[in-house]
Amino acid sequence: MEPIEIGLIVSGGMLVLVVLGMRVAFAAAAAGMVGLIWIFWAKFGYDPARFGKALTIAVKTAGQVPHSKISSQALSLIPTFILIGYLAYYAGLTKALFEAAKRWLAWVPGGLAVSTVFATAGFAAVSGASVATSAVFARIAIPEMLKIGYNKQFAAGVVAAGGTLASLIPPSAILVIYAIIVEQDVGKLLLAGFIPGAFSAVIYGLLIIGLAKTIKNFGPPVSGFTWKERFAALPPALPIVFVVVTIIFFVYNPFGGDAWGTPTEGGAIGAFVVFVMALYQGMRWSELKDALLETAKLSVMIFTIIWGVLIYVRFLGFAELPSAFSDWITSLSMSPMLILICILLAYAVLGMFMDAIGMLLLTLPVVYPAVMALNGGEAVSAAESTFGMSGPMCAIWFGILVVKMAEFCLITPPIGLNCFVVAGVRDDLTVQDVFKGVTPFFIADAVTIALLVAFPAIVLWLPGQV
Amino acid sequence: TEWNVSLWGKRRAFTEHVEKLAELVSEKTNGEFTLKISYGGLSKNKENLDGISIGAFEMAQFCAGYHRDKNPSITVLELPFLGVETLEQEIALSMAVYQHPAVKKDLARWDATLLMPSPLPQYNLVGVGEAPKSLADFEGLSVRATGGIGKAMATVGAVPTSMSASEVRQAMDSGIVKAVSFAPHAHMSFGTIENGKWWTTNLNPGTVNCPVVVNTPALEDLSDAHREALLGSVDEALEYYVTQYESKTMEAWGPALDERGIERVTFSDEEIAAFKEAAAAPAAAAWIEENTARRLPAQELYDLVTGMVANGS
Amino acid sequence: MAGSSLVLTDDSRLSKIDQRLYKLEGYLALLSGLAVFSLMLLAVFSVGGRNLAGQPLPGYVDWIEQAMPLIAFMGIAFTQRDGGHIRMDMLVGALRGRPLYLAELITTLVILCVMLLLVWGSWAHFDRSFDFSAPMWSSDSSMDISLPLWPAKLLVPVAFSVLCLRLVLQVWAYGSALITGDDTLIAVPLVADAATQAAMEAEHVSAHDK
Ligand code: NA
Ligand code: NA
Repeated sequence: MEPIEIGLIVSGGMLVLVVLGMRVAFAAAAAGMVGLIWIFWAKFGYDPARFGKALTIAVKTAGQVPHSKISSQALSLIPTFILIGYLAYYAGLTKALFEAAKRWLAWVPGGLAVSTVFATAGFAAVSGASVATSAVFARIAIPEMLKIGYNKQFAAGVVAAGGTLASLIPPSAILVIYAIIVEQDVGKLLLAGFIPGAFSAVIYGLLIIGLAKTIKNFGPPVSGFTWKERFAALPPALPIVFVVVTIIFFVYNPFGGDAWGTPTEGGAIGAFVVFVMALYQGMRWSELKDALLETAKLSVMIFTIIWGVLIYVRFLGFAELPSAFSDWITSLSMSPMLILICILLAYAVLGMFMDAIGMLLLTLPVVYPAVMALNGGEAVSAAESTFGMSGPMCAIWFGILVVKMAEFCLITPPIGLNCFVVAGVRDDLTVQDVFKGVTPFFIADAVTIALLVAFPAIVLWLPGQV
Repeated sequence: TEWNVSLWGKRRAFTEHVEKLAELVSEKTNGEFTLKISYGGLSKNKENLDGISIGAFEMAQFCAGYHRDKNPSITVLELPFLGVETLEQEIALSMAVYQHPAVKKDLARWDATLLMPSPLPQYNLVGVGEAPKSLADFEGLSVRATGGIGKAMATVGAVPTSMSASEVRQAMDSGIVKAVSFAPHAHMSFGTIENGKWWTTNLNPGTVNCPVVVNTPALEDLSDAHREALLGSVDEALEYYVTQYESKTMEAWGPALDERGIERVTFSDEEIAAFKEAAAAPAAAAWIEENTARRLPAQELYDLVTGMVANGS
Repeated sequence: MAGSSLVLTDDSRLSKIDQRLYKLEGYLALLSGLAVFSLMLLAVFSVGGRNLAGQPLPGYVDWIEQAMPLIAFMGIAFTQRDGGHIRMDMLVGALRGRPLYLAELITTLVILCVMLLLVWGSWAHFDRSFDFSAPMWSSDSSMDISLPLWPAKLLVPVAFSVLCLRLVLQVWAYGSALITGDDTLIAVPLVADAATQAAMEAEHVSAHDK
């Protein structure tokens, strides 16, 4: 049997295991292990006497992957980003942020919903995890919206959608994972997420204003905050700004001087700043211990998926599947743009059934080389490329598109994690309610993605500046 | 017979000898013996020697400096200020070291047989800010330089800073490091020359040694004709490599510097001699002591290398 | 999702062993958490040293690479015990009683087999970096400041072995439930439907919300 056929069969087997409810990380590791054994035994002509040798080679090859792939400086961003999120609870940062957004923005039509979106966007600048963002704001923002007569389904939808902004606006664990899989500059990708993230927030805001103007009794604007009250709400929210500025200074010094460090250092320093604030707010050891345990659990979960999937990817390397897929894609007679759109649609479908990080890890080793080949290769210049951008820029552009798709799958049924979390926080809401409420935001996301595809400059302008 | 070959990154000047070898071997055996080259699909670069030892693939490239304890014997070729001037000289030195029984034994721990080097020119610095006029200007200068070259830079007061190669460009643009030490092709591919202001032409603190190895049992399993086709193609592959590196990289290097207006900094012979004095002897002494403790004939290896350089081979 | 599922306890031997093991797993997970914390401090030292004292932390990258396995592996059994490794539970969520126990038993057995193989493979990876006769017992070292790598590599088979213990316990729990057909499962995470699971996640968040 050809290696490529083995690759396809084993990949099918892995899907069966995943559907059977096997934990994704181990299903991928199992598939990779079986695949490696198969490949090496096939190389020995299925000689029964040499099965032991094939097994040994396969097991030792797979056994290198966890340590070797996890010992990476770039991956160290993930646990520090998660730690920032958990420490922010103790520092009371989220509540202060929502209060400030409310006093400044609530006067527009659909005001509280708009405030919620921008508060989540602000929190996204310190949080790298979407699910946590939705959970916090469901508790803070939904009661206030209900109090002034918002439709409860819609109020829930706003929070579920707003939470997704955390994975585009830096810092973002998903963007870092993308950068690592495709071996691109982490700092540039994080920078590239900023404008599309803010852009998404603006599109969400416009959608809400539009709905508020057309639907009667939607969400009345909230007026009556005096300027004094507005300014009084700013100081408690300042710490967020402080953390954001700290992180920014680690990537790029806006005053033209030296940056303070590298992006990987920036994440860790951001966590330290939030930690000091939480201490100032009176955090005790028992709370810190809880935060550390929760951080450990979430990090371990993500890292287990990473090495599990990378064992499978190692097998794919021996099976030559990525290059075969890439050859196939580039041999298609469709227009490259159409192929790209088909790939994005495939992500939308896949994202309905899968977790975002698992989806990226599984698909990118195969899809990314194909997209790069479509554009004309890694080293292509903007002038000679298909999509009108150089290889590295195409990697950034495609990364932002894919991460936006991954965000999208956090709010699509049947497995939209953000919606489950919001429904879980509120006893009076079912998951169906939240899915109903979040539907309008599909349109907003579709518009955003279409604009990002049509105008790559939205993504590429900022990283092009540094 | 089909061999898997584990390289990393992309196809570039640094991998052309392996590509050429694959072409020659296939030609000489009428396609009966082929080398299937994978760029990063089979292993991480730091684990290529492990993969050889496991038998996961039959041929691989790696750099000695990635993991000194895995291959202490060949790190003699990475000592600072050996005085190597050309790629041909680097090849001759490497091949001589690779043939030494102690080196063969060192690599035999990994079931690996050294096939050929991937010679690189001397590292030099590309930097931002004011160009150093003399070695005294290195005082307090933050430099991205790892391992032995980092230690050498520290002897003249520079501050070696470690970071992954992919963060180097950003670190230099933002001023975290003022200078970066690489071979010319790496300066070009990691983009340090895009905003760099100066380049040192003759600091020549050393280089890395990156051999291509084969799995020993696999080599022994080859038929005599196939083994002859492989081993007999090494010289031609290396020749091709040198031509490629010199014509493509080195010829592009000068114009690349001129295009960007990068100043060439050349130090006087006295200064280089002083630098060498401060850095070379202590590094060599430390290396010999450390590797004698590993029961390697360290002095002998060091004398072999320095003797060949002195004889001008 | 990382959410914790409910694990029932009683005074059976199985449950007692489960709780003992859980304690050990908890300590290891806390070690993971403390390693994250140390990552943060490491950055503070590195940045502070460079910007204030003009002297960066030597081998900063090497140290981070040493800390990463501590973070990634020590909590793996703890996470498995709480049902924190994500999966698609649409199918198992619809099953009840023996069919459910059978499905869980099969997938848990597969995981156990893979992890046993990986204990072997990761031990071999450690073993190649370890040499009793070498200085610092090291035959593999980090790139910049030559730290021996064997301690970090040894963490992997150790953590995987603890996970294997956990999996044996779960196989035992599912196996005996399959035989007796009991309604209550002890010592394994229960399949809450996704909504209940999210409720527990949310409760966790709100417990910290002041
Ligand atoms: Na974020
Ligand atoms: Na979904």
